[in-house]
Amino acid sequence: MKRSRAGLFLAVPMFVIAAVYVYPLILVVINSLKTFAEIMANVVALPTHLSLGNFSNAFVLMKYPNLFFNTLLVTVLGTSGVVLLSSMAGYKLSRTKTRYSWFVFLLCVAPIMIPFQSFMIVLVKVAKTLHLTNTTYGLSVIYWGLGVPLSLFMYHGFVKTVPKDLDDCAFIDGCRPLRAFFQVIFPLLKPVTVSVVVINAMWMWNDFLLPLLILSGAKKYMTLQLAAYNFFGQYKVEWHFAMAGVLLTITPAIIFYLALQKHIIKGMVAGAVKA
Amino acid sequence: MKKTFLMLVLLVCVTALAMGQAVTLKLFFYSPELIDQYNDMAKQYLAETGVTLDMTVLQNDYVTVLRAKLNSGDIPDVFMSSAYADNDTYKDYAYDLTNEDFMKKLEPTALTGVTVNGKVTGYPFLVQSHSFIYNKKIFAEAGITALPRTIKEYEAVCQKLQAKGIQPFATGFKEWWVLPQTAWQVLAPIKDSYSGDYAKFVDRLNSGSLKFANIKEMSNVFDVLDLIKKYGGPKPLESDFNDQCSLLATGKAAMIHQGNWAEDSIRKTTPNIDIGFLLGPTGNAADKAGIMFDSNQTIRVAKDGKNLKAALAWLKWLTTSEYGKKWIPDKIKQLSPIMGAKASTAELAQATVALLAKKTPSYSWYYQRFPNGTEQGLGIILQGYCAGQTNRQQTLDALDADYTKIVNASK
Amino acid sequence: MRGYKNKRLRRAMEFLGMTAPAVIAILVFVEIPFLMSVMYSFTRWNGLDKVPKWIGLANYRELLTADRDLALAVVFTLIFTVITVVVTNVLALLLAVILDSDIRGRNVLRAAFYIPNIISLIIIGYVWRFIFSRGFDSFSALTHIGLFQLSWLGDGKLAFLSVVLVSVWQSIGFYMVIYIAGLQTVPREQLEAAVIDGAGAVGRFFRITLPLIMPSITVCVFYSLSNALKTFDVIFSLTFGGPGTATTSIALDIYRTAFSDNRFGYGTAKSVILFLLILTVTVFQLTGFKRREVEA
Repeated sequence: MKRSRAGLFLAVPMFVIAAVYVYPLILVVINSLKTFAEIMANVVALPTHLSLGNFSNAFVLMKYPNLFFNTLLVTVLGTSGVVLLSSMAGYKLSRTKTRYSWFVFLLCVAPIMIPFQSFMIVLVKVAKTLHLTNTTYGLSVIYWGLGVPLSLFMYHGFVKTVPKDLDDCAFIDGCRPLRAFFQVIFPLLKPVTVSVVVINAMWMWNDFLLPLLILSGAKKYMTLQLAAYNFFGQYKVEWHFAMAGVLLTITPAIIFYLALQKHIIKGMVAGAVKA
Repeated sequence: MKKTFLMLVLLVCVTALAMGQAVTLKLFFYSPELIDQYNDMAKQYLAETGVTLDMTVLQNDYVTVLRAKLNSGDIPDVFMSSAYADNDTYKDYAYDLTNEDFMKKLEPTALTGVTVNGKVTGYPFLVQSHSFIYNKKIFAEAGITALPRTIKEYEAVCQKLQAKGIQPFATGFKEWWVLPQTAWQVLAPIKDSYSGDYAKFVDRLNSGSLKFANIKEMSNVFDVLDLIKKYGGPKPLESDFNDQCSLLATGKAAMIHQGNWAEDSIRKTTPNIDIGFLLGPTGNAADKAGIMFDSNQTIRVAKDGKNLKAALAWLKWLTTSEYGKKWIPDKIKQLSPIMGAKASTAELAQATVALLAKKTPSYSWYYQRFPNGTEQGLGIILQGYCAGQTNRQQTLDALDADYTKIVNASK
Repeated sequence: MRGYKNKRLRRAMEFLGMTAPAVIAILVFVEIPFLMSVMYSFTRWNGLDKVPKWIGLANYRELLTADRDLALAVVFTLIFTVITVVVTNVLALLLAVILDSDIRGRNVLRAAFYIPNIISLIIIGYVWRFIFSRGFDSFSALTHIGLFQLSWLGDGKLAFLSVVLVSVWQSIGFYMVIYIAGLQTVPREQLEAAVIDGAGAVGRFFRITLPLIMPSITVCVFYSLSNALKTFDVIFSLTFGGPGTATTSIALDIYRTAFSDNRFGYGTAKSVILFLLILTVTVFQLTGFKRREVEA
């Protein structure tokens, strides 16, 4: 009884704060239902009638189904790669307490400090040499390099919450280390993995600059963000389509996030039981 | 049976070969506001010649991506840039069009921006004009009959408008590029001090023998900027291109400084609006007030492009075919560089033609001659002045410092 | 002897096998391109000419002595960083604590605070521009609160606050997610034991929870610190560094140097300095925080 009352007490002000917090998104929703003239006249007002045509138009203009698939492919391949690479490396570097290991760790984490603009032109050149431009696979592989530093850093820290004795149990002589890692240790890292997946998937789904540079030639491999961006120009912004396009692009991401939220709890319960 | 089978195989091979021969031209453009017109032209070209135009159209990141592409060897067959200073920027990549026969079909005035030492390295795409655009109905309602030409006359007009509760200007000051185009128009008559030759003026700036701080006409520039800010509403530095177009279109502002390219956006909000060009003030001499008229948006052919011949064939078609000649006036609704092209029906394009016919002073976009790399820097410094961050002397010194820095960096 | 050597070899192979893929990806796609770019910092190059011109340390000399815009950008970035890192992390942690507790509608609330992080920064820039100028006009007409009549993007000092506001708004959700995951690793038994011992909520938080979530704090402070020092996207879309240069960060200054001033070599030299700045600050922060992490 006490719990639910306190829960309610706190919930009310939090919902108010949350509503104000997402007001900009509400504006995007409202404006996606207006005509161009209505938007130009008054951004804050409610639409007089629902211009659902904006969505169907944006859907067609953006070639939504095709690009949805592309964006999904890049996101899934990219995220899986990052999780795989960074969990293994993060774990190993955290457990190995040598100076060499600390050096490799810093090497892996240093990219977080490097501003993207400073090397992006050369990166395109490198990508072209490796035949990674203008393909979704190429883009995913490049995302591995860009996403691993932060994710590795996160795994490195969280591994500390896994008791060391479990390592010895898992890595018995004769038992293959990789299998041991993925069957015993990795499941215990579930909370971090969920965070890593959420963070990387969101970022790759919504990223814009890298796909622009790598895919700028290949129409059929474009991502949703690039298509939505085409509604914004210096001299003409097709607001009604842009807002609709934006909603079409971020809705899958929001649904994905909401779906995963429940998993965080599930994973945590499982982890607690194991510990 | 065997014979038919072999014939079939042969047929398939030949078709495959023929399909493999189908050319695709890679075009890398900006101005996404024209994407419908680009697509329409591509469709027509495909129907007439069987050549596919693979177009990528960007805006904000155009230069970044173009540079990444050129550097990595992913060279588009055709790309776009500004004229004047950009001739030098892209000198390693642009094909020399001087001897192409279709170039003779273009207006000589349109070619000034792309000609360096007799060599033509670009194809002028659009001819454009910019000055103050005004809402004719608002002016009429406010009882303004004589169109202003001097700073004093503009101030009088502003006061009349304000008395009627109308915001005189939508400044556009949030966009760094609106400031140079507004400011340099005020300075345009400077060529009179250099025998009418802007090249001489810019040379003196480049050599350092002339500084902005020593140009007394700069005070007119500041006066105009001050005027626009004073009568630019409560938040003059937050007004961007959208703000300018929408306020003008809905009658909330009477004047904006923009170009004929803005007509499309304005008309989208208010389709039957009546707009025209005002002559930009240059000081107190009414006869010097004019419009800025030039061809700056330039198409360039990559000299290392894989489909050079096809690219040139396309440009020839654009210049000489029936569709090509009508494309800019009818579809894009702007002014065409092709000799004898018909006039566009767009109101501002027609206004430009009418003003030129009346021998109104029309100045070239001489500021595009400033060294490549100064446009944004100078614009931002002027923006700082409008925001009250620097006074006139500090602004002039900053302009000189930035200009010198860029000139030195390219030596 | 043989048994020992084999074990060492096996350990080394394990280490290599598990870390090599990550290291290779990072080297190939980030560090090598960066080092190659660094080569350009010793040249004069406009990003297009086929042959850049070697000028040695001239770029570095210029940026240390003759670049007033860079100096202003450094000051802006440092102040901006301190404010955003503190505000973001404190608020994100607070939100995480509230949203990890037994509050009704917790999932919806968490999603609400996370969503701004999903929206692309170009959209965020445009939408907030509308809010600050036209939106505030409507609000001030409705409520007559003076706050809405100020020029939040047009005045140099207010623009600074606007940029901080939007930056914090956009990033809190991200750190909140990490903090929530961290809070859930705190064993309930320890907290329950403390309740039995009579510790209050605040005491429990500071003596048990906080030390145990140090890894999360380290990650979040490290990442938010790097991001704040590298801030580019939010400013680019909201103010483009304006009015004038009032809100220009180091990263934006670098971008403009390379892509508008066409001084690619000089721009890369500046980004090397930025990298060294971030490296110094974060190494200090990391070593300090890592020492405080408690191992299970």
